[in-house]
This record gives sequence, C-alpha cells and structure tokens, in this order.
Amino acid sequence: MSGKNKSAYPFYIVFGTLACLVGLSQLNLNFSFKDFQFRKLDLLSDLRTSENKLPDQKSFTAANKTGGSKHLSPGDSVSTGGSDSLAAANPDSRYDYLSYTGILEYASPEAADNPGLRRFLAALNDLKAGKRSKVRIAYFGDSMIEGDLITADLRDSLQHFFGGAGVGFVPITSVVASFRTTITHTFSKDWKDYHYKNSPPSNVLLGLSGHTFYPGGSSWAKYSPVKKPLLDKFEEVSVLYGPAGNGMVTINDKPYTLTGSRTVNRLDLRQDTGAQSITLVNSGNAVPLYGVCFESENGIYVDNYSFRGISGVELGRLSAAMVRQMQEERHYDLVIMHYGANVLFRPELTDYSWYQKPMTKVLDSLRQDLPGTSFLIVGTADKSYRKADKYVTAPGVEALLKVQHDLAADHGTAYWNLYAAMGGEGSMVKWVEGDTVMANKDYTHFNRTGAAKVGALLYKALMNEYRLAQQP
Amino acid sequence: MFNIDKLLSELLYDPANPVLFNSGFFFYFFALFILCYLLASNNKRARVIIYTVFSLYFFYKACGYYVGLVILSAIVDYNLSHWIHRTPSKSTKKTLLVTSIILNIGLLFYFKYTNFFIGIVNDLTAGHIPFLNLILPIGISFYTFENLSYTIDVYREEIEPVNDFMDYLFFLSFFPKLMMGPIVRAADFIPQISQPYRLSSEDIGKGMYLIIAGLFKKIVISDFIYQNFVQYIFDDPSKHTGLECLVGVYGYALVIYCDFSGYSDMALGIARWTGFKIPPNFDSPYQSSNITEFWRRWHISLSSWLRDYLYIPLGGNRKGKVRQYINLALTMLIGGFWHGASWNFIFWGAMHGGALALDKVRIDALKKRKAVFAGWKAALFKVIGILITFHFVCFCWVFFKASTFHDAWSLLHQIAYDFQPEIAMDLYNGYTAVFWVMIMGFILHFLPSKAEFSMETILGRLPVAGSIAVLVIFVWLLVQVKSTQPMIPIYFQF
Repeated sequence: MSGKNKSAYPFYIVFGTLACLVGLSQLNLNFSFKDFQFRKLDLLSDLRTSENKLPDQKSFTAANKTGGSKHLSPGDSVSTGGSDSLAAANPDSRYDYLSYTGILEYASPEAADNPGLRRFLAALNDLKAGKRSKVRIAYFGDSMIEGDLITADLRDSLQHFFGGAGVGFVPITSVVASFRTTITHTFSKDWKDYHYKNSPPSNVLLGLSGHTFYPGGSSWAKYSPVKKPLLDKFEEVSVLYGPAGNGMVTINDKPYTLTGSRTVNRLDLRQDTGAQSITLVNSGNAVPLYGVCFESENGIYVDNYSFRGISGVELGRLSAAMVRQMQEERHYDLVIMHYGANVLFRPELTDYSWYQKPMTKVLDSLRQDLPGTSFLIVGTADKSYRKADKYVTAPGVEALLKVQHDLAADHGTAYWNLYAAMGGEGSMVKWVEGDTVMANKDYTHFNRTGAAKVGALLYKALMNEYRLAQQP
Repeated sequence: MFNIDKLLSELLYDPANPVLFNSGFFFYFFALFILCYLLASNNKRARVIIYTVFSLYFFYKACGYYVGLVILSAIVDYNLSHWIHRTPSKSTKKTLLVTSIILNIGLLFYFKYTNFFIGIVNDLTAGHIPFLNLILPIGISFYTFENLSYTIDVYREEIEPVNDFMDYLFFLSFFPKLMMGPIVRAADFIPQISQPYRLSSEDIGKGMYLIIAGLFKKIVISDFIYQNFVQYIFDDPSKHTGLECLVGVYGYALVIYCDFSGYSDMALGIARWTGFKIPPNFDSPYQSSNITEFWRRWHISLSSWLRDYLYIPLGGNRKGKVRQYINLALTMLIGGFWHGASWNFIFWGAMHGGALALDKVRIDALKKRKAVFAGWKAALFKVIGILITFHFVCFCWVFFKASTFHDAWSLLHQIAYDFQPEIAMDLYNGYTAVFWVMIMGFILHFLPSKAEFSMETILGRLPVAGSIAVLVIFVWLLVQVKSTQPMIPIYFQF
C-alpha cells in the first residue's frame, strides 16, 4: 500500500479529461483513414440548438397537378372524395399524392374503359347484390406481406363484410410456412422450387407466385385448417398445375390423374366434410405444380403472392400465356402491387428512374394481359435509417413514392400511399419506438400488430371507395 | 449557438432520455459531484450529505418524482428496524419484521406485478379489468431487496441498526448502484461511511480499470453487437435462418453479460474512487463448468441475497434431500420472477432451478462414489462442462430475451429445422465487424484474472497526466464506436 493519499486523483483525472475533450472538440478535428471517416468529438452538442437539418431534396411537388385530365376529379363517377370537396379552395392539395391517406384513382387513354378501381367496385356491388358468386384479389408483395401479413387482416375484414371463407392461394412450399397463422402448411424437403432467384431452365414457366414446384420421388405437401373463424374448415379446394403429360398425384390417399397441356390447369376437389386436411403426394410423372387454393362457395378472396427480396420488376418475367390462362382458371378482379422495401436499399438515393423503366414495362404487360382487372399500386411504407444520431425517414421514400404514383397515374390504376396512411414523415420511428410496437428494429418491416393495422387501414381505404361509388 | 433553455431542460427529468452512466450528461454530473465531494472530504457529515443530494438528484433525473419512494422507504425501514431492535418482545419483533416485508414487497408488487396479475385474472375469467397505467420506478427491485436484507439482519441481530438517518438514506440512494445494482448489503456498506476518504494507488488503478472495462463492455461490445445484429434476430426470428438465430443467441449471451456486468463494473469503479468497496457482482460466468458454479459467478449479489434471505429460511439443505431440491427450484423460480413480470422470466427461473436441483443430484452422486478426476481427464471434463453449461445458459436466454413464448419457440424452430449453414459466408460478409467484436468479447472473457490484475497495477502507477491521456484516447475511441442514442440497458426494467 502506498502511503500517499490519492483522494484528489479522481478529481484531477476527471477534470483533466474533461478539459482535454472540450479543447479537442473546439479544434474541430476532421480526418479520415482510408474509407473510414472519424467522427468529431463534440462534447457540447447536447447544449446546442440543432441546426436546420432538412433533407436536401425535400420538396417533391405533387406530380401531375396540372395533368388534371388524368386524375379523376372529384364528382366523377369513381371519385376519390365526396362531392363537397369541390367546395374546397384548393382541391388538389387535398388529394396531394404525398399526403392523401385515401385511395387516388386515375384513368389513362390506354385503359379508358377500366380506370382506377371502377371494375373492381362494380364487382363488389354485384357480389353484395348476389349477382355474382366470387370476387378475387391478387395481392403481390415482398417480405412485407410474408406469412400472410397484411393480407390476412384485409381478407378477414373483407370476408366479414362480403362473405367467403378460406385463405385462397397457398404455394406448394414456402420459406415462411411455419410463420403463417392462417393455415397449417407442411411439406417434404424434396420439392424442386424454381423461382425468380434461381434462374429456372427455359422450359419451366413460372407460376403467378413466381414459383413453380417439381416433385421429387414421393414429395408431399399437407394443408390443415386452423382454429380461427372463417379458416377452420376446407370447402372448395383446387390444385393449380402446369402442363401435365398424365402426371399422377394422390390426394388424401385417392389417386388423381392430372391432365391438360395448358400452362395453367386446375383440378377441383370437393372436400368431403370428414377429412379436415389435404395431403397431396406425388405418385407418378413429375408435374409442375403451382399451389392449392382454399375457398368456399362464394364471397371474396385475397391471394397472398409474397416473394422475399424482390422489387416488383421481377413480375416482368411472368409469361403472358401463364397470366392469361391463370385469369381463366382463377379470375382476379383486382391486382394489388405492394413493393418498395427492396427498392430503398440505399436510403439516400433519390433517383428511381432505373426502377420506373422496368416497372412501366411490367405494368404495361399486366394491364394488357388482364384487361378487365383493376389495379391498385400501394406506395412504399415509411422506412427509416440512422442519420447522424437518430432514425429519420429515408430521403428515398418520398422520391420512390413519386415514381410509384406516376406509374399509377400513367397506367390509369388506383394508388394508395401507405407512407401517408402510416402518418407520413417519421411515422416508422413511432411505429418502432411507440408504446405499442408495430414494426421491427430494422425500421422497415411491420410486426403482426403493425401488419394488422396496415390491413385495417387498407380495408378502410377500399371501403371508402366502395361506399362513395354507391352514392348516386 | 448555446441555448440556455436547452441547458435547463437537460437538467430536468426526461422520460424519453433516462440518464445512463454512458451518457454525456453523466460525465458533467460526475465532474461536478467529484469536485464538491473532494471539497467536503474532511467532514464525514458534509460528505454524506453531498453524496446523498447528488444521488437523489440522479434518481430524480432517472425516474422523476418516484425519487420520493426511495426517501419514503428509507424513513419507514429506518424506523421499523430501530423499533425491532429496541423491543424486547419476540412476537412484536416478528410482527414488525412482517410489516416491513409486506410493505416492501407490497410496493414492489404494486408497481411491478399488478398488471401481470390483472392480465391473468382477465385471461381466466374473460374479464376486462383495465390495466393500471404504471411506470416501473427505476431501481425499485434493487432497493427493495436492500431494505429487506437490512431489516432482516437487524431482526436476526446480525447488525445494529444505523444511528443516523442520513447514513441510511445515503446507503439506500448511493447513486453508483442505484439503477442496475449490485444489491449492496448494509452490513458491508455502513461501516465504510465513517472511514476517512483516503485512496491508495491500488484504489485509483482498480477504479479506473473498472470504469474503463465497464464502458468498454457496455459500449464497444454489448451495444455494438446488440444494435447491429442481435436485436434484429430477436425482433423477428422467423425472418432469419437457423444459423443467424444461433449466432444471434451466442451474441445475446455476450450482450447481456457485457451490458449488465459492464454497468456493475462502472458502479464498482465509481464507488471505489469515492472510497467505497463493493464486492464484485460477476466473475467471468461463462467460464463455469457446471450450472451451480455459474450461479456463483453470475449476478453474485442477487444469488447470494436469494441464498441468505430465501433459500436458507425455506430450510436450505437442512430438511432432507427432496426439500432441498424443492427449495432450490422455488428460489430460482422466484428469482426469475424478480427479473420481470412475465411467464418468460418465470419459465427461465424454473429452468435454472430445475438444472440446479439436477446438478445437486450429480454432485451428491460424485461425492458418494468419491470420484476424483485428474490430468487430461479432468481437463476434458472441464471443457465439456463449460460447453454444456454455456449452451444450457444460452438456451435459457432465448426465453429470457424473446418477447413472447411464440418468438422463443420460432427461434428454436429455426435453429432446429431451418439451419441453412450454406449462408455462413454471406452472413460473415454482412456482419464482419459484429463477428469480430463477438470473437474479441469471448476471448477477453476467457482471459485469466492475472491479466486483469496487471492492467490494474499499470493504471494505478500512472501519473495524473498519463491517466488523463488514457481516458481521453479511450473516450475518443468510444465516440467512434458509440451509437449516440444510448440504449436502455437490458436490466433496466427489473
């Protein structure tokens, strides 16, 4: 033990360090090593008024304000707002694509007879009036809708209002099968899954989900209902498959010969009420399979077409024949396209012309192949990234929204701004950090609670259009 | 531009920015405190008052007006313990003790567990009792246990009650251990209050080492790998492959250890610099080769508290083997519940309790057979033991950390059924820095304690200017690493 009392040392050390650090932060040292930029010391930052840190390209003005001919103006037969909106001093600002939380509908010369949601809303009307038995929605998206997120809630609300029971389309295998809570889905490991990301051979045509499944020796897939309202039993079950060449499968131990040489073929099964699950086993020639659909006799269906990691551009690889034949076997009245999370991989990027070009092609051909179907483009959700010290909305979000909006306007589709519906700028931070956690720490993906909320918001927006279309 | 309003608002309680040892605010706070403390160093009473005032302010800054609860519980327990001490009647003593226990546990229960039980009642009866809108007062789990051990010690006549109320309030509010422990015993602490404020080179070196090591563990290791990797995995395990999940669990083992022990180290270091020795709270726990040893090395102040005030009063090992196993399991179950009001923590505690009981069986069996291993066999058993213990602890961490059972199971499901080892290189390339920090963390953890001791000696011998240089360089390093938004330490909610 040294005899000297060093009780003043902590004081010296702390004040000496503090003095040095304050000195260093005054020096404003700024240097980097290779690619690494060292951060400046700034001991007094907490006490300073923060400077105005607006993003550089904040003000994308609402596009196409002048192109009023495109925007179905309020009072039109498929108007976006009530007729009172005409009285508003500046109606355009109410329907600003960056801030409006409802659905905007557009018309285009190329699809003049099928603007916005008109066909879809008419189909809903017919369904409600009993003039037709089914209405279907194909909901395309990326990991944001994996495991039936968002679509499960949208489907549930729609089916409660318009009738119908069942999850719709389910692929043969899925990476998120165990995560999905709307159906119990298991499968053998020996299916060969061709999809967007693994360059399938040229003779393999991808199904609408972006996947085509080839069975191995005795590949199987099993589906069972879950104990939830509208999902607790199977009624009408159909299997979608590719060019068959007399393939054999057994379904619940009953052999079936798959015939048909078209790109999309359908086998309808009547589920006898005794068996409460479907087990499909390959038992002969390998037939390319797309998936199994679960419906009841009538009502509305939402098919979840999720594909992890894609931007939407990949849909351009679907063949026209497949899309058209799919429409014959499984008629869709509305296609929803929900992308963005994978487009915003560089948060500060604000030029999305590289995305606009291929997406224009995708929409051109889908519009052409599905002439009677309405389209809804869902603008990207808010995505935050860490800038300096805190999470803020990525500058790319509003830039991408402009591109998505313009795609909708140019193709005469409907457009719904999810970002605005979430609460606009900074909303993802609130969804992640709020008392009720609604999104993950990656500041991109919703959790179940958040997805349910998004499903509810979209339902509300769609129903708003439906009700407005009902008004004389 | 300096902004005076902003300066003033920094001094007030802000629920969104609770004060942490690793925040800039704490640096200024500590500098001012150490100045005042040094000025008062020759007068015991002045020292106590200054320390207490700073501690209470720190409390206020951390949890607002809940600071009143600390003062209130100090008044109550100070007086109750005196009463217990004075009264000759055994039954009155007991009644008073029970009163103290009920008051302390009641307060803790009210704030921490009411909503949990409302939830259970609602679930069982399909009722709709509204939840209480309560914020857990920071540190309440720690000071409740300190109050209890003090009163029980007085009741057991192991210590005399404190004569000066200020001393007791000082003990209870002592800011270094306020938020995250360790749980300090009055018997250890109170005698140190009246010691003169003298520091040796050893105190300076040890204190500085603990503060630096604590900050390093908290910021460079724990926060970094948590924010950049682990949190994503636990947020949504089903979105990640089994390999990612497994690495995430290993990462979390490091995160929780470095976070909690880093905070404890800082508390010990600051206490040491102000003339107080607090026993260590962690002793390289992942070096343990069995679960019994783990609990002697992990959160020592809690496990020894549970041993002295729960396990032994329950009967400990004095009432036969079966009772001993039950006591062990029960103690750990309650210990788990102490960590938070959820089934996950209860389950976590139960698993550890069960493992401890099983380990007891193993130890007894070895004793009976007088089995002693030596040489390479002993080394092999030790390595296997360390691996098994570590993996068991990790398995339990999954339930500790996952926000729901569903999440915990889906993480385990991913590891078991969706491992996908082929993504290993992509994973490494995606998180290179994180994995190197993890490797460094584990290597440091397995260093012998000799290395630690020599660091302390070197730091203790440095002249003042040398110490300042070391700290400046270290802070500069931290600024480079530190994600500026301070993370709420994981043990905060306890």
